[in-house]
Amino acid sequence: METQLPTTSAPLPNGEQTTPIAPATSGASETGAATPPPVSSPEALPVAQKPAEPVKITITLPTNAYFMSGIRDFTLALIKNMTKFPEQWAYRFQSVVDELCNNAIEHGSAPGKEITVIFLQNDEKSVQIMVEDSGTGKDKFNAAQLHELVAQRLQPDYAFSGIRGRGLAKIVSAWTDELTFTDLPTGGIRATITKRLDDPKMNDPTALPSTDPTHVLLTN
Amino acid sequence: MADISITTEDIPSTNPAKAVKMLHFTGQLDESNVDEKSKEVYQLIEAAQGPLYLIFDLAGLEYMNSKSIGYLTDWYTKLSEKQGGIVLAQARPNILDILQVVGITQLIQSYATIEEAKAAVIQ
Repeated sequence: METQLPTTSAPLPNGEQTTPIAPATSGASETGAATPPPVSSPEALPVAQKPAEPVKITITLPTNAYFMSGIRDFTLALIKNMTKFPEQWAYRFQSVVDELCNNAIEHGSAPGKEITVIFLQNDEKSVQIMVEDSGTGKDKFNAAQLHELVAQRLQPDYAFSGIRGRGLAKIVSAWTDELTFTDLPTGGIRATITKRLDDPKMNDPTALPSTDPTHVLLTN
Repeated sequence: MADISITTEDIPSTNPAKAVKMLHFTGQLDESNVDEKSKEVYQLIEAAQGPLYLIFDLAGLEYMNSKSIGYLTDWYTKLSEKQGGIVLAQARPNILDILQVVGITQLIQSYATIEEAKAAVIQ
């Protein structure tokens, strides 16, 4: 079982430090806008610059799909403005985050609880996004069970017959390089996706990465 | 909560036995609204006396999630059972992208213009 991610400003697992853009508190309206420091004179007005260090943004929101349009807007703006991913991928990340959050809301966290979305950019060559539920949902899965479920649906001959079930297997898996499920000490699950910019098909708008044999599905 | 509206328009058909309707989608289909909004499409399908073709004008559709695609597949299946069907028109690049990655465009034809979509179903 993997330990929970460090809080903002704590060392990352790779030993690097995060640079907080926004404090990790509750509310979907936190768009990561940092509060500028006090200025003493007009000449000292701060200039907004993209931080050179790794960036971690944490958003905690209630278990309610009502807030998802705001999270999608935030994801679109974040990927467009803070990464070198082509615009097409900003829309793809929007869907990936939406699907992960919908799963966490529907299965992992009970109404009245929370889910957490973490955007992590260690360098300009990759983006990592984590979605954590509280483990209080009506359909209790552990990481191994969720891994098995997605692995089954990734089989070429798997027949999708219902309204649901395409999110993780057909969208999230197709548009990421790695998809990892981790059991959390709280009883919840963290789904982590990683997408790297060095994908040779990155700038080919017609390429469908669903056939990418390098995709990795992991359980921690 | 995401906003979504679906307006329905009757399209004249050369074949009186075949009904054609165009559904104009505006807004975002997501987890917060798709279950409720899908009922409008099911009502159209269930009310059809014979073959019904639906043209989905997606020019105003900004977002759709995986469950919306699940409903789209179910509507298509139900209409096909009545010798009808669905075609898509004017989908934005991000909508076409998600439909392609899920594989729906192999099942449901998508056209760049309304005229092409109409021509495909009005015969």
